[in-house]
Amino acid sequence: MNPAAIRTSGLSKRFGGVRALNDLNLEVALGEVVGYLGPNGAGKTTTIRLLLGSIRPSSGSAEIFGLDCWRNPTSVHRRLAYVPGEASLWPSLTGAETLHLLGRVQGQVDGAYRDELMGRFDFDPSKKVRAYSKGNRQKLVLIAALMTRADLLVLDEPTAGLDPLMERAFRECVAEARQRGQTIFLSSHILSEVEALCDRVAILRAGKLVEIGTLAEMRHLSTLSVEATFEGAVPDLSVVPGVTAVEVEGATVRCQVAGSVAPLLSVLAGSGARGLLSREPSLEELFLAHYGTGPANGGARTRTGAARTGAGAGAAGAGSVPDGEVAGHGG
Amino acid sequence: MAADLAPGMPARAARWPGAAIALRTARRAVRTGALWGYISGATVAASELTYRSTYKTVAERAHFAALFSNNAGLAAILGPAHELQSVAGFTAWKSFMFLAIVGAAWGLLMGTRLLRGEEEAGRWELLLAGQTTRRGAAAKALAGLGAGLAVFWALVSVIIIASGRSSKVGIAAAPSLYFALALVCPTALFAAVGSLAGQLAATRRQAASYAGAVLGVSYTLRMVADSGSGLTWLRWLTPLGWTEALQPLTNPRPLALLPTAACLVVLVGLTVYLAGNRDLGTSVLPDRASATAHTRLLGGPAGLAARLARGVVLGWAAAICAISLLMGAIAKQAGSAMAASPSFERTVARLGLRGGGAAQYLGFTFLTVAVMLVLIAAGQVSAARGEEAEGRLDHLLVRPVHRWSWLCGRVVLTSLALVACGLLAGLFAWWGAVADGAGLGLARLLGAGVNVVAPALCVLGIGSLVMGALPRAAVAVTYGLLAWSMLIELLGGFFSSNHWLLDTSVFHQMTPAPAVGPDWATVAVMALVGAAAAVLGALCFTRRDLIGE
Repeated sequence: MNPAAIRTSGLSKRFGGVRALNDLNLEVALGEVVGYLGPNGAGKTTTIRLLLGSIRPSSGSAEIFGLDCWRNPTSVHRRLAYVPGEASLWPSLTGAETLHLLGRVQGQVDGAYRDELMGRFDFDPSKKVRAYSKGNRQKLVLIAALMTRADLLVLDEPTAGLDPLMERAFRECVAEARQRGQTIFLSSHILSEVEALCDRVAILRAGKLVEIGTLAEMRHLSTLSVEATFEGAVPDLSVVPGVTAVEVEGATVRCQVAGSVAPLLSVLAGSGARGLLSREPSLEELFLAHYGTGPANGGARTRTGAARTGAGAGAAGAGSVPDGEVAGHGG
Repeated sequence: MAADLAPGMPARAARWPGAAIALRTARRAVRTGALWGYISGATVAASELTYRSTYKTVAERAHFAALFSNNAGLAAILGPAHELQSVAGFTAWKSFMFLAIVGAAWGLLMGTRLLRGEEEAGRWELLLAGQTTRRGAAAKALAGLGAGLAVFWALVSVIIIASGRSSKVGIAAAPSLYFALALVCPTALFAAVGSLAGQLAATRRQAASYAGAVLGVSYTLRMVADSGSGLTWLRWLTPLGWTEALQPLTNPRPLALLPTAACLVVLVGLTVYLAGNRDLGTSVLPDRASATAHTRLLGGPAGLAARLARGVVLGWAAAICAISLLMGAIAKQAGSAMAASPSFERTVARLGLRGGGAAQYLGFTFLTVAVMLVLIAAGQVSAARGEEAEGRLDHLLVRPVHRWSWLCGRVVLTSLALVACGLLAGLFAWWGAVADGAGLGLARLLGAGVNVVAPALCVLGIGSLVMGALPRAAVAVTYGLLAWSMLIELLGGFFSSNHWLLDTSVFHQMTPAPAVGPDWATVAVMALVGAAAAVLGALCFTRRDLIGE
């Protein structure tokens, strides 16, 4: 049997008294594309640094292609390529010099593909790194990683600073890599990106893995979005079992339903509903459901320290957004 | 939204827009200002306190004064001597120009680092968003720099007023305060030059090289003016000449503060004006953003390290060559002066030197080269730590590069550079000595050059060990070791009986070659200690987490 591309068992990391990652058990199969989600500080980057062998596990272990990430870093690194979210490079080198250096250090480069990537990302390699914008520096590290055609791509918020055109180019490259059988581990804030690219999604909160599965599997765990329009008086839906996040706007009510929709349907049928719209939750809604967030109702978004789980917490008007960046990108 | 941001910002900054820049700059400037103030004060105090014990009788002092008062070579380096038969004149001559030049270099590095360096690193971008204008930001950073200079002045003043009160010295508070002020002048002026260069150039390094060129020209002009060439009027064209004209302790001329003050006002005004007339992150002079790719060295981590260190190390090598040439050229004259002065001989006897002559003089002054080599080593430890702290090292270590080979590769490269610089020091000292007919052999001076590499190798190894074990302390410990060793050498006379204390200086084990032959066993032991520490450091480095700033 082939070893998994990534396998962690009981992987934990403490920084002083802070538990950054707690007992992570994760397996990524060869050729799989896995999205890794979580708010800032959830432990995504800690996980990636453990996989890269940059930091040592406090307990548990991480393996890539069957090799221990901490004990055999260089053997592991021959087969992977990494893109950080914040590219800190040598300011005095030019783009071309940086690509040359990183290619030589990696030891394997598809030169033709590198040139093609520079065209696709519209990247000018003749400038010095210090003269590049954040987006251009990000393109540089993306090209440096993709040009190696490594078996495993570890991407930590790789599209930070890219414009929508370049983000599309990135998605195409990832789709191609996947077709070539490369495994991809993508940590991201951009939920639409994860939704478009990933076979499976893992959600991390406060250092613990709270959910992992395909999008289809995860949808069953979450709520259905329902929007109903009434002819007469709007009934109070918040008392219906399973219904949460009730929002009333004139004659229209929006809510989330967890579990069976039968109780809601019977209430709607008896209240003269004129129109009914229901749809599957998007990844953003699934994600927010995990952080106890319902749609905010006309009030300002507030930060609260304790994120709540489950759909039940999102009563109208009391929504909390644990991470403005996630909500902003997703919306 | 502002309320959301507040917890991450200093509370004072939230109330007073833009204060964050002033506070941030002041914090860094005050920290190094205090360190430099302490070193300068200690240097002056050491010179004041040792004068009477070194030159015990009036006859000895008169003899010393007669020998050095009209020495054109030394006047070119340290400025003309006045009243050498007094403690005040001796101290002013021995420490004033030396500290003024080093202070000017420190000032220009601070000016470029705290203005252009911070801007280049993108730290101002966040602070400037809606908080203050670019002009205001530059003014506030300059105010922070001023705070650092004030601390520098205060600390120097306190130390030298205290040492002046000693019964051995007897210098009143007012001349001491004026002396401290005279030391601040070149520092402040070149901090302003650095700040202005930071507006002209797009990178800190470029700005530092512009400001460094100004300092180089200033020093050269002053040298020509003081070398008995009859061109003394040149003194009024150079800021170091204005500094010299202040004549602290001997013949104070406060009016000579005027050109410095006027120049300071112009430089500060121009800096603030230019800062407001350009975009954040850009420069007044065009920035050469594109360049042809030179990939010859960029085949791996060691090549990259060589490429990144090349500029700095070549700069140091040039400085070492120049100083060695000068020392060689004046060795004969200065050496015979030493030979004629029994008391000066006692001063240097501490170093194990006997008698006078060119070799003895060079044995004494090669300590300067040793200090410069340690500075190169410490700079490379700091650069290695910077690669890790700022995340650039990640790009190498996520590829098939061993941490062990990365750190050891850097140590080996730096060691080779240090040996090359040591040999250059020997070669150029020989060249200078030959020109002057001092009769010192090439092999002997090359040996002396290798001899002074040993402390640098030792510091390089210890720095690498700390980098491997306690990365956040690496830079402070490495420079701290250098500062401590210099202090021990300067004040060695006070506790010459305590060899345990003296042994903590990395310079103390070194024999004063070429006055005596290098002790190759000691050189080998120091190099081995350095190598062992570096290997241990590399092992620690493979066992710990990578740690950012």
